[in-house]
Amino acid sequence: MNALDFYAFNTIHYPYLPPPDERTSQWVTLSNKYFDPRLGYKTYTEQLAISAAAEKFGYDGTLVNEHHATAWGIQPAPNLSAMHIVANTSHIPVGIIGNALPLHSNPVRVAEEIAMLDVVSGGRIISGFVVGTGMEYYSQPVSPAYARERFWEAHDLIIKAWTEDGPFVWEGEHYHIPSVNPWPRPMQQPHPPIWIPGIGSKDTIRKCVEKQYMYMTVFSPQWLVQQMFDEYRAISEELGFERNPKKLAVAVMIYVAETDEQAHREAKAHMQWLYNTGLQHPQHYHSPPGYTTPQGFKATMSVRGNITAQPLLSYEELIRDRYIIVGSPQTVAEILHEEYVGKLGVGGVICSGTWGPMPQWMAFKGMQLMAEEVMPLFREADGLPDYRKKPPLIPDSYAARAAQFGAPDYPPMTRVDGLEKPVLNRESHVPEIIDPSRSRKEPATV
Amino acid sequence: MAVADQYVVKKQPVPKPTNYYTEPQWIDIEGVPTAYRRKGTGETLVFLHGAGMTRMWTPFYEELSKSFDVIAPEHPGFGETPMPHWLRNFDDVVQHYHEFFRKLGLTTLNLVGYSLGGWIAAEYATFYPDSIASLTLITPAGLRAEKPADVDLFRVGPELGMYLFNDPAKAADVVPPDTLDEMAFLYGEGTTLARLMWTPRYNLALPRRLNRVTAPALVVRAADDRLIPDDIAVRYRRALPNSRDLVIPGTGHALVHEEPRLVAEAIGRFVKEHHA
Repeated sequence: MNALDFYAFNTIHYPYLPPPDERTSQWVTLSNKYFDPRLGYKTYTEQLAISAAAEKFGYDGTLVNEHHATAWGIQPAPNLSAMHIVANTSHIPVGIIGNALPLHSNPVRVAEEIAMLDVVSGGRIISGFVVGTGMEYYSQPVSPAYARERFWEAHDLIIKAWTEDGPFVWEGEHYHIPSVNPWPRPMQQPHPPIWIPGIGSKDTIRKCVEKQYMYMTVFSPQWLVQQMFDEYRAISEELGFERNPKKLAVAVMIYVAETDEQAHREAKAHMQWLYNTGLQHPQHYHSPPGYTTPQGFKATMSVRGNITAQPLLSYEELIRDRYIIVGSPQTVAEILHEEYVGKLGVGGVICSGTWGPMPQWMAFKGMQLMAEEVMPLFREADGLPDYRKKPPLIPDSYAARAAQFGAPDYPPMTRVDGLEKPVLNRESHVPEIIDPSRSRKEPATV
Repeated sequence: MAVADQYVVKKQPVPKPTNYYTEPQWIDIEGVPTAYRRKGTGETLVFLHGAGMTRMWTPFYEELSKSFDVIAPEHPGFGETPMPHWLRNFDDVVQHYHEFFRKLGLTTLNLVGYSLGGWIAAEYATFYPDSIASLTLITPAGLRAEKPADVDLFRVGPELGMYLFNDPAKAADVVPPDTLDEMAFLYGEGTTLARLMWTPRYNLALPRRLNRVTAPALVVRAADDRLIPDDIAVRYRRALPNSRDLVIPGTGHALVHEEPRLVAEAIGRFVKEHHA
């Protein structure tokens, strides 16, 4: 097993906006009149191409996320992005860090879409479940005061829809579905891996330990990540689970260039767009009433000094607190080795992509250096991601599928007018087979 | 009948505002320890508060109590009354108050509701119209206005004061100091509000149902309500068959705090007129 997994992460930022001083928020209130579909085309195609390219670079997975009513991420329907990436790749796991479960009026739709993606991709889907930021709720007919309740009820419903035969009735607190019977079911059994992002809620950490889901941190300084992981360790011990580094991931954006100086030159303005310009919003937008508990509100205020996940930070603070890592392959590798594999004991970093206005070529350049000069240091001798060491769940050729699976349990049969018995559809157009009076061709043997 | 344990909630400590805080009286309403303040002599008058300025015997209450036996309960999830986990809808609040009034032996009500409390009072009156002696709605919420509000009341944040008051200086004494505990407490009250009225922010059935409320009704409007469209107050007046309205000059949404004496006197005249 490799020491550290590397994930690409795509938010699809839309950076073609009026100068920052002219507005107070990039979220909720920034008018979509600033969205130009022609630049949208450029943005989507370039950034989705980066997501798909993660496979050739050798990443362990490629992730997309979900946001609403913001230029910071024009990906309100992340399952559509995932399908695009699935269609343009062959083997790499594709993660959706959506879906924002509480926002759905019928969570079975999520079960259906993820199952569809999982089957079409041959079992490559990582299913994130998120509550969504507080900002999402202003554009939704869902009270943030019910967000957590809806999140876990939707979770329970989706897991049941994936793991128990339908149809069944769901009579819950927030959802009543008269008949739950999603076609298709997922390829991965019992269901795709679940990832849940957190910014410190102990309840979320506890659930992830109990269910052994991936717990991933987002937008947190390293000292806070350390606190969350200490909590994770304590809860693991309390519940009798061995702490598995591959069930933990940290989102920390990394940019690699030839030298430290060159890396900062190339990345600085784009990283500052990512964390300041693009994330700009009034603090209180982040925690509408009920989005967290009064106790959680107070704790967050005490620990972070504000209620938003993301205060405006200087470039020095971004570097110092490890919101981002920027440097030469040597510098980046040392930090990952000492602080992430070592001190934090984490098995995955969600680290690469393009940030706001960063040109596509620059993102590719950074990813190539990361792939060729950093990743191999954390891999076994073959340099392969772990997923390439297991056989795929389904062979991708007709021949291999025929050889491995043979005939289906229920080959399609149809009653055809004019014939006495139902016929197998695969032979129905061959008269000498469906008419016993004609000679029958035997299957080929060697 | 004893209430099943699962519906019982416990009192929670709350920060006490430095101005006007008074210890409440307590009454158990089907497992919910319910805080209320009561003072004054004369006709009994029940005041249902808005979504804030709780825990205090405000100057407005004091003015009212010069003419009335004022009962000012705190809604479930506001002030010192804890939020029951089962609280979801206005009918939960209406049922809670029906039992509250029954326990206090109030058979006919002079019911006054301000802002959120106006919505609650209106809902209550449609369910129990025969118990209403008089109904006063002050800058009430609860109906759909012709045009949506200019501001999302869940998104105004620190600028709330600009939308509540025309002249914030007039009501500065009823705004508790901005401590971390107070902010967390208000976040909790906001949570109750978000449970009740994040979506939708109106009850489309109310205009039709209000037709059964034939008791005398007064709708008190602000001169310039920046938080809740004045059109809502106008629509209440139209929907209530036996109503009139009154505009208090120079006021904003929180007129009970801006002009406590004027509003209390107007209510006094209206209620006394119908009991003369």
